[in-house]
Amino acid sequence: MKIGIPRALLYYNYFPMWQTFFEELGHEVVTSSPTQKDIVNLGVSSCVDDACFPVKLFHGHVIDLTDKADVIFIPRLTSVSQGEFICPKFIGLPEMVKNSVKGLTPVLILDLNLHKSEHNLIKAYIAMAKQLGADSRKALRAFRRASLRQKEYEFKLKSGYTPLEIINSKQSNRIIKGGKVIGVIGHPYLIYDSHASMNIIEKIRERGYNVIVPENISDEQIEKQVSNLPKKLFWTYGKRLLGSSFFMLENKKVDGMIFVSSFACGIDSFIAELVQRFNSRKWNIPYTMITLDEHTGEAGFETRLEAFLDMMKWREKSGNYLSAHGASLYLY
Amino acid sequence: MVITFPHMGPAYISIKALFEELGLKIIVPPAVSKKTLEIGTKLSPELACLPLKINMGNYIESIEKGADTIVITGSCGPCRFGYYGIVQKEILKDLGYDVDVIILDPPKNGIKEFVARIRKLAGNNSVNSILSAVFKAFRVTEEVDELIELCLKTRCREINKGETDRVMYKFEKAIRETRGVSEIRRCIAEYKERLRAIDIDKEYQPLKVGLVGEIYTLIEPFVNLNVERKLGNMGVEVYRGLTLNGWVKYHLAPDIKFRLREKRILKKADPYLGLCIGGHAWQTVAHTVNFADMGLNGVIQIMPFGCMPEIVAESILPTISEQEGIPAMTLIVDEMTGEAGYQTRLEAFIDLLRQEEENKKNEYKKVLSWN
Ligand code: SF4
Ligand code: SF4
Repeated sequence: MKIGIPRALLYYNYFPMWQTFFEELGHEVVTSSPTQKDIVNLGVSSCVDDACFPVKLFHGHVIDLTDKADVIFIPRLTSVSQGEFICPKFIGLPEMVKNSVKGLTPVLILDLNLHKSEHNLIKAYIAMAKQLGADSRKALRAFRRASLRQKEYEFKLKSGYTPLEIINSKQSNRIIKGGKVIGVIGHPYLIYDSHASMNIIEKIRERGYNVIVPENISDEQIEKQVSNLPKKLFWTYGKRLLGSSFFMLENKKVDGMIFVSSFACGIDSFIAELVQRFNSRKWNIPYTMITLDEHTGEAGFETRLEAFLDMMKWREKSGNYLSAHGASLYLY
Repeated sequence: MVITFPHMGPAYISIKALFEELGLKIIVPPAVSKKTLEIGTKLSPELACLPLKINMGNYIESIEKGADTIVITGSCGPCRFGYYGIVQKEILKDLGYDVDVIILDPPKNGIKEFVARIRKLAGNNSVNSILSAVFKAFRVTEEVDELIELCLKTRCREINKGETDRVMYKFEKAIRETRGVSEIRRCIAEYKERLRAIDIDKEYQPLKVGLVGEIYTLIEPFVNLNVERKLGNMGVEVYRGLTLNGWVKYHLAPDIKFRLREKRILKKADPYLGLCIGGHAWQTVAHTVNFADMGLNGVIQIMPFGCMPEIVAESILPTISEQEGIPAMTLIVDEMTGEAGYQTRLEAFIDLLRQEEENKKNEYKKVLSWN
């Protein structure tokens, strides 16, 4: 059977795991095409207006798979870590898609909820394998192989690559000696989707900067950073963004930071706010927020990026660390 | 210590009852107004949810009146509500306000834990007196709910238009003047009587509309632009999917009967959404189905802009509407929502429901005459 995996949302986090799992069970895996204009349009027109950009993109990628796959894989990730959650929209994702996409190909749902116990991980995958007609033994073996692949993947991420460099085995990772470093903070499905993010990472590199991303920071560092918060931050990925930014800022790993968010992202509205406030209080490193959505234009984006890089240079020259407070801007 | 708290519809009455009973000094936040919204919008992250912004406005208004401690409830995810307190605290800190923010997360172990938390606030009260105050506050919540229910039944049937609103306006003023539980309860009882005394048209068959959506938006009239009042004054009887009383009975007060009933309703969501996804989206879906089963004429979903769980519910609503045969509309509010456009949309929806009702009646007549 051909199983279609939409190249959107948690694809960037878990693709190696999913691909291996399905292939081990003897299925063929197809992914949707990389995001392009028509995928964006399909997503935008099928999904409710008020959804965030990445969720709309997911809809577009599902539609793109319509004729390419026999079933479409839609993960319902309620929680990927004990005692934590991810965004409410991930929990309701299968329902959103089923009710918004007309003439949908049959879907295969992975129901993953580790909120109560991490043991549910194996159970969830075995339950999904059963839906595909595999017995537990085969499922278990596939699960083990898939977990191994996933571990390798996560290990490589920590050594400075971005998810796409690993998935596409194009590990260019040019480190520019003596180049300034910019931390690009954002959800993987936004910053690594080169169409949706206006290719931000490449654009920064082309201008002679090094880029580091949240995926490069270890879980221990992240945990350490967020452990000082007055209340446990219960969003696994929100925590990753916040903890990795704090780590980069506090340890002076970066000369500037760009928070890339999507319009109407509920989680980012809180996380970016905290990053910005702590930065201007404690570290005062050049910081900006760029908000993207389906209306973002290339030209406006470039201007915005240039302006930020100019600000970095200027602040360095004048040594005058003015606060970047309030530098956020919406791009249309 | 002078305590204040966010304003959320009639919740202030119960909170006031509780804290006053415990002998704590409190400042009841002024009713939400344009000014509250303006302050809140200016100080909050642009894309934060509307309730957070309005709460910020509440705090500033109360701090100006002398409050130094903010008590709020929280949650442990998955929605943003659980992190309101932290973000708000940081904003207040940067503004130079030196206030304590105390977050009461919903107790996992029910009433006992809740009492223990209150005890931290009100140290010199015995467990017994705290328990008694808590139960009195529950009672107040129930009575306020009965008052609102009465108001919803009366408004759409009143003979002299505007009478219900006048009584309720006076009630809001009177209740703020009261002190302590017994005065509060007396005041509520008195206004219940006044509502009962209003002349109503007993024969009138109003259209019936159910409200579902995000809880804060549903409960705070300023935010929903007085939707209950507007509908009532159009002669529509309003049914509420979520109430403060219901929330208390589900989460705090151990009301088994209510919980079972609510669980039965949630079950109805199964074909569309079988689990909690945060906020009240599950309830939105379940109550929509339930309202269809009850034979209501239509359902209105209300939510703040960008509300994550309600967006999921919003995308499911058209399917439910089609399958269960109940017209549904979604209203999204934000700080820019204008009175005029909102009223027009409500009226258009109600017109549609009226027509459908007429059609149904005519069909029925046709069937009768054929036989
Ligand atoms: S975390 Fe933000 S961007 Fe991601 S799905 Fe949720 S709201 Fe959308
Ligand atoms: S339910 Fe909606 S309004 Fe409430 S915290 Fe979540 S996003 Fe905000």
